[in-house]
Amino acid sequence: MAEIRFTTREIGSLSKPGWRVKSVVGRPLNDGDVEDARRWGERLGVEGHEELVELLGKGSGFTEEEKARIQDFAALYAIRLLESAGLDVVYDGEQRRSEMYDHAVKHARGFEARGTVRSFDNKYYTKAAVVERPKVEEAYDLEEYRFVREHTDRRVKVPFTGAYTIMDWSYDEHYAAGSGLLGAPAERRTEARRRFGIDVARDVVRPNVAGIVRAGADWIQIDEPAATTRPEEVPLVVEAFNATREGIEARASMHICFSDYDCLFPHIERLQDCYELQLEFANRDSRETGTKDGDRPGYAVLKRFAESEWDGKIGLGVIDIHTDFIEPPELVRDRILHASSVLGPERIEVNTDCGLRTRTWEVAFEKLRNMVEGTRLAEAALNGA
Amino acid sequence: MPEIKAYAPGIYPRSEELVQATRDLDRGRTTREAVERQRQKDLASLLRVQEEAGLDYLSDGLLAWQDIFRPFCEAARGLEPGPLTRFLNTNTFYRAPAPSGEPPALESPLGPPYFEAEELPRGRWVATLPSPHAMAAFASGKVDARELARRVLRPQIEWLAENGCALVVLQEAALFGGNVDLRPLAAALEELKGPLPLALQLPFGDAGEVLGELVELEVEAVGVDFYSTDVEALPRPFPKTLLAGVIDARNSLLEDPREVAKFGRALLEELEGELHLVPNGDLQFVPEGIARQKLARLGEAAKILKEER
Repeated sequence: MAEIRFTTREIGSLSKPGWRVKSVVGRPLNDGDVEDARRWGERLGVEGHEELVELLGKGSGFTEEEKARIQDFAALYAIRLLESAGLDVVYDGEQRRSEMYDHAVKHARGFEARGTVRSFDNKYYTKAAVVERPKVEEAYDLEEYRFVREHTDRRVKVPFTGAYTIMDWSYDEHYAAGSGLLGAPAERRTEARRRFGIDVARDVVRPNVAGIVRAGADWIQIDEPAATTRPEEVPLVVEAFNATREGIEARASMHICFSDYDCLFPHIERLQDCYELQLEFANRDSRETGTKDGDRPGYAVLKRFAESEWDGKIGLGVIDIHTDFIEPPELVRDRILHASSVLGPERIEVNTDCGLRTRTWEVAFEKLRNMVEGTRLAEAALNGA
Repeated sequence: MPEIKAYAPGIYPRSEELVQATRDLDRGRTTREAVERQRQKDLASLLRVQEEAGLDYLSDGLLAWQDIFRPFCEAARGLEPGPLTRFLNTNTFYRAPAPSGEPPALESPLGPPYFEAEELPRGRWVATLPSPHAMAAFASGKVDARELARRVLRPQIEWLAENGCALVVLQEAALFGGNVDLRPLAAALEELKGPLPLALQLPFGDAGEVLGELVELEVEAVGVDFYSTDVEALPRPFPKTLLAGVIDARNSLLEDPREVAKFGRALLEELEGELHLVPNGDLQFVPEGIARQKLARLGEAAKILKEER
């Protein structure tokens, strides 16, 4: 019997260092920012980090060329952080992207920014409206991908914001216009959203994905945090994934987080060639060790995946991204062992619940390192070592 | 012919300036006093916009509210702000009311900045409160809706009546999805009867399945989101005042007042109560500049209908 070996990876985003944020938006750096760049450069062994430290010493007034160089360094630091933590699969922590929604719509024709709305308390996000049929002419993440590919020997997985989420988080001034939705039956409203979602899949996300696959990417990840926001529209999430995937010759995963996974059934059975679903569980789980059902309440829904006709892999979220609690390797091990007992180890891969962008690099690094160590412990247990 | 009114209950969006001020406050770059000054400017602007739009009732926009439950979670014994929870199918979150042991009770009614009664025209303003049923349903632990009504919301409604409020809109977002038992809601509403007319508004959702039962409840008015509810689901004749959600507070697309008036005209044929034109939920789901234009169009639609009478 083949030895069990899980692949470890982060989901996508890491926080952006202060020196990267301030220099790009034009705010002055302080000594702490420069020291931060020096310290992490040394710790991660980032080649040429002395050049960055010298450049940041300027403090303010960076030229466009210098800003581009700083962004390159931010991506390189993130790659090295993920490598140093021991991950099998890496990317650049989305260091060049403003935010997952904004990054996608600002590169597409057919969207216009509309302003700021509140998410909660004093936290806000910007929203755009679709004003005509949306479209992108060519892949806009190509340079980002090429940089990562040229700077790591590890396997690369490229994250993309999914079509359903782009549709759900946008205002609709095009598909809903003139269709008399005031007082209309549900079918007419659903049809307007379906046309919007599928157009985004085919004409916004797919051209970007296709260009990057042509450039050599062999693993793409479609991020759909909005997937179960409207349970009745999960079939549309599936349809949008399939439309995005059409004609793409690469491994494709879908990441869904902070969602009600019960809503995914039975619709995921219609996913076409979806290698895995990368899901969030640690956020809902106990922090005590143990591998029995009662020890792992956050993973209870795995039984439904075991019963489902959909037989892809589960990217098992074992690290909570909403807390500074550093999961001990033994806790990670037990989460993996429990999931392996429910689904079989051949259906499990290991990741964080979501991107670690809300954690400091110190916390993110410690969490990732323990995730890798815990994974190796689980493998040892399963392989009878 | 039924009476026609127009107004905008619920949480109104913050201006870009107030957004920035609150962001700066969180980052330690400004003071609470500076934020409060900007909030007062926002309030003055909102009142002016509503007057210019010709709205019948004014709202203070709940500009100091972090979410629909928070002021009560902070002002009532026995309740605390709990975990962040998604509000319906939006990308917006509230802190679920969390019971802290003792029975919930309002320490003293909320005044400014939560209700800016002194800034509003006496007898011509509308207040928004959480429905006791929604508050209990969305709590992160067990809370009794009737107790919430009697000990938390009732004292507040009495204060509102003393301070010139004309109508209380209860935001009820926990009746969607079918198989809902309306008895706890009916019992809780019994506790609120008396001081002021009550409207039960179902924001951002399909009310079709429960409308037939809602009209039996002890409230003067029922609010329906007509961007999620098929107009054919409306019981006919409709025996109560209808808060018709005809402005889509979740979309930046601006409504044509003539189309809204046309829709309202058809509704008038079916009503035994009054027709109140309102947004289908909190306007805070669109940026303030867009909300302002939507208020103007709401007023314009009502004006068209009133002139036809």
